[in-house]
Amino acid sequence: MTSVTESPINNDRELVARTQEGDPSAFDELVVKYNPRLYGLIYHMTSNHEDTNDLLQDVFSKAYRSIRNFRGNSSFYTWMHSIAVNMTINFLKKRNRRQHPSLNDPDSNIENDPDFIAATSNGDPTKQVSIHELQKKLNAAMMKLSHDHRVVVTMFDIQGMPHSEIAKILKVSEGTVRSRLFYAHRQLQNSLHEFKKK
Amino acid sequence: MSHEPMHTVIRLKRYEQPPAGYFDDFLREFHHRQRAELLKPSLSTLITERLSYYFSELRVPTMAFAAAAVVALVASVAILRNPVQSEAPRNFAAAYEQVPVTIPKMQPVSLRLDAPANSTPALFSPATMMLRARQANHESPISF
Repeated sequence: MTSVTESPINNDRELVARTQEGDPSAFDELVVKYNPRLYGLIYHMTSNHEDTNDLLQDVFSKAYRSIRNFRGNSSFYTWMHSIAVNMTINFLKKRNRRQHPSLNDPDSNIENDPDFIAATSNGDPTKQVSIHELQKKLNAAMMKLSHDHRVVVTMFDIQGMPHSEIAKILKVSEGTVRSRLFYAHRQLQNSLHEFKKK
Repeated sequence: MSHEPMHTVIRLKRYEQPPAGYFDDFLREFHHRQRAELLKPSLSTLITERLSYYFSELRVPTMAFAAAAVVALVASVAILRNPVQSEAPRNFAAAYEQVPVTIPKMQPVSLRLDAPANSTPALFSPATMMLRARQANHESPISF
């Protein structure tokens, strides 16, 4: 049987309680734990590494300032993601048209991914699309989506979060999440029809 | 309609990762920014500093401030020593005593349209009464 204290949620509660009591090192642990996941969320929303870094710093600063108000009605994970989503959408609304993508290089492991091979060769191994070409097209397709659609695609398709968790973070019903995903996928299909697996 | 192909294609974006060592440096940068925020002066401090700088740059001689202070002091003493002569308290009740208004008894006015035959048309009689009181004239109004 797993000990209660070992579960990630209880561990988060303990770290939050320690932070609220004035232990900054406990918050550092939370930063280290949530940093990669929140980075991914913001990065795939903005398509810009520098903007992501600045936003992520602001997200953790805001969370640290308001952690005394965190009552634990939701999990810390949900609370942090809500802050990140709201701040990113506000940032995107202000940035609006002046978009300068600054993309990270894909990990070299992508070349071994069967989905990558299938998507880029499109049934013809001799006509393989380059990684950078695929990345450029995926990014362009993502940027065509509305902010609401892009956030569900990021959380569900890229980060693999369940519908229920996305619904909690966005404070919408699961049906709304599914509906947004449906329309977002339809739009992506129009933009990325050449990569559709046969 | 299945969206599985889109799911697998878009999932490839997870391979886009920040430069190596980014996550290790992130916490250091976070601490650095927190310290910078602590050192950042508040808005009130900035306003006070700006105001004091503005007044120091005015180049008004120090004696001018002293003279202005002396004038203000003398004026306030003069005002306090010669208070405005207050009038004796008034009896407001008597001053505003109301005189009763007497209204003469009014005669009732008759608004009957059919005036008696022998009566002469009144100055402000209704038009119908005036026409009834006149003698009928059957002559042509214009004669040649």
